[in-house]
Amino acid sequence: MKQNYTVQAWLVLILAICYGGALAGMQMKLAPIIAENKINETRQKVPELVLGAENAATKLDIKPETISIDKGNKKISYTVFKAGKDGQTAGWVVKNADQGYAGKIELLIGLNPQTDTITGLFILEQTETPGLGNKIIDWEWRKQFINKKTDKPLVVVKTGAKEPHEIDGITGATISSRSVCNIINTATNDLKGPLGGKQDSTGK
Amino acid sequence: MSEKQDTDIKEKETVKAPALQAAVSPHLSNTSFTTRRMMIDVLIALVPVVGMAVYIFQWYAVKQLLICLVSCLAAEAIFIKMRGKAFTLTDCSAAITGIILGLSLPGPAPWYIGFIASFVAIGIGKVIYGGLGMNIFNPAMVGRAFVMIAFAGSMAASGYLDAQSTVDAITQATPLDLFKQAGTTTPLMALFVGTTNGSLGEISAIACLVGGLFLCLRRTASWEIPAGVLVAVAVLGGISDLVTPDSKWTVIHHIFGGALLFGAFYIATDPVTSPLAPIGKFIFGLGTGAIIMLLRIFSGYPEGVMFAVLFMNALTPLINHWTIPKPFGAVKEEAEA
Amino acid sequence: MILRGRWAANRIQQGNKMAEEPTPFERFVQGIVPENPVYRQLLGLCPVLAVTGDMKSAMTMAGAVLFVLFCANVIVSLIRNILKPHLRIVVFTLTIATFVTIVDRFLAAYMYNMSKALGPYIPLIIVNCIIICRCEVCGSKQNVFAAGADAIGQSLGFALALASIAAVREILGTGMFFGVRVLTENWPDWVIMALPPGAFFTFGLLLGAFNWVDSIRSKKDGTG
Repeated sequence: MKQNYTVQAWLVLILAICYGGALAGMQMKLAPIIAENKINETRQKVPELVLGAENAATKLDIKPETISIDKGNKKISYTVFKAGKDGQTAGWVVKNADQGYAGKIELLIGLNPQTDTITGLFILEQTETPGLGNKIIDWEWRKQFINKKTDKPLVVVKTGAKEPHEIDGITGATISSRSVCNIINTATNDLKGPLGGKQDSTGK
Repeated sequence: MSEKQDTDIKEKETVKAPALQAAVSPHLSNTSFTTRRMMIDVLIALVPVVGMAVYIFQWYAVKQLLICLVSCLAAEAIFIKMRGKAFTLTDCSAAITGIILGLSLPGPAPWYIGFIASFVAIGIGKVIYGGLGMNIFNPAMVGRAFVMIAFAGSMAASGYLDAQSTVDAITQATPLDLFKQAGTTTPLMALFVGTTNGSLGEISAIACLVGGLFLCLRRTASWEIPAGVLVAVAVLGGISDLVTPDSKWTVIHHIFGGALLFGAFYIATDPVTSPLAPIGKFIFGLGTGAIIMLLRIFSGYPEGVMFAVLFMNALTPLINHWTIPKPFGAVKEEAEA
Repeated sequence: MILRGRWAANRIQQGNKMAEEPTPFERFVQGIVPENPVYRQLLGLCPVLAVTGDMKSAMTMAGAVLFVLFCANVIVSLIRNILKPHLRIVVFTLTIATFVTIVDRFLAAYMYNMSKALGPYIPLIIVNCIIICRCEVCGSKQNVFAAGADAIGQSLGFALALASIAAVREILGTGMFFGVRVLTENWPDWVIMALPPGAFFTFGLLLGAFNWVDSIRSKKDGTG
């Protein structure tokens, strides 16, 4: 036990260099994979949302875009994925989020090229109450949004949806159901104009 | 050897000594004022409420009450045996917990809800703290809170409904839900008599009042607690009336609707989990009433009695600490001493 | 009284053992039940309460802890002779943080969904007291083999504790085990078990049961 402080300093220094090197190497190797994972999470969903579950494996040409909308005094930006197939627009996937019952709900909404019909819905993130509000992630509930028209806002009802713009609420989780509808309504309402216009110019 | 003596003394304390009575001086040495007598008073006071529940909900009420009663007694017997304590079923406290728990549940709730709630109420709500007199929280409300969160689907608004039922009350939503979700106001008379849907015991204001007044007159329940609750609800309800004059849900609706009266007279007055001094009891009542109104008006839940009582239970030791009564003739201590 | 006496006697016995230091095998066995990090030492309770909602995330957590603890313990043991006591906490933290970062990035790269589900609890292994405790108690005092065996034993004990709680919570809360349905379709999910209060209830009751069994066993030892 006769080490002086120099030995200690060297020890810490060498350890720090080794660790730093290991971390840097790992980061160089793994960072692209992690970044890829994050993008894929959204991208993987695009074909399913645009073409339906049976065509989920179709390869689509996906182009992320940011669309800003002037809404009175504030600007809102939406992340939109344009799905192209054989040079034609196959549909759009819009990312939108808002407050749910327990926390933020983030959705991916699939729209057809004319943006007048919803082609799919996926819940990216939610923290709703397990057993009640988190039933919004169930396919059984989500599937009723498919083929809904976007010309009128969607409304949550409790006792069996009859009208084309009505959505069955989840028993005991009306607020969560309503939040999802509101998120979809604002997104479709805001983007119908800009996306519809784009479709015309590129599709012809 | 000494351990055995210890437990002997403890047993005596928990069984015979009116631990609930160790309150403010003068200590009345009325031997008839035992735990058992108090509990029997409560049972008598519950008769009108149970009667009303059975009249309105018919076999729904009978089934739910029986499940809770039997499970609570069974739970008490099992847990007491596990702890190696003397048999305490005869003091009727488990029976009271069972009936109050059953009355606080919706009629159509499936059997396992009452069963699990009873075991949680007796086990986690009472025995784990050391038995009757030691628990911090009202056992029945602990059991109800557990199933309320565990089986939210069967305990929330839809849990009260059974559209196919032959019992009229069960085919409509509870008055508080009706108001919260559709803005429909239930007539006062229906709330007062109790021809509405709701938890079994909460529907009839008149039954709760009759039983509650009996409890207060017998001094089994302290009148300060329900008085505090009613004052707080009346004041806050009055303020909310003034703020939103066009709301049809008035302060009277607040008092007669939901579990307010049932909670004020039967649940909040549990002598184990409420403060000891009269002024403390009043503060406890005020706090409970205020939290009920807070939850009813601002939260996502239509009713707040259960959480209000549990919350105030947690504050009870603090209230006791604030309101230590001054012994007769004591002089205020000087600050510099 | 009897219990306390026995406990003290055990401590003294262990104290004597300390002088000659437990062998690697003893270290390994002790970590699993006799000195279980969760039920005995009550260490690392944050992940115990937070990630035991289902078996998959609990076992991922246990694996991550195994990796970090093993590497940290071995490295600390290797440098124990040239490390001065006053610098040890810094070096421990540095070592642990490095391996935790490696695990965190690794999960994000190859088990992305699991990494999302575990959220901040993987980075929080850095402050998990089990690891720094084992570095201090075993890694900085004994050779590499003892340190490695100790790390594996303690991690297995931790995994066992996580599994016991997660099994109760997942089965009652969702009717499933490792994501596979084990109870009937119409099992009413005990939602409270999937929520934080369920973790407290389950842990408290299991801890009580653990101590109860233990007291029965030591009573038997006392009479027999």
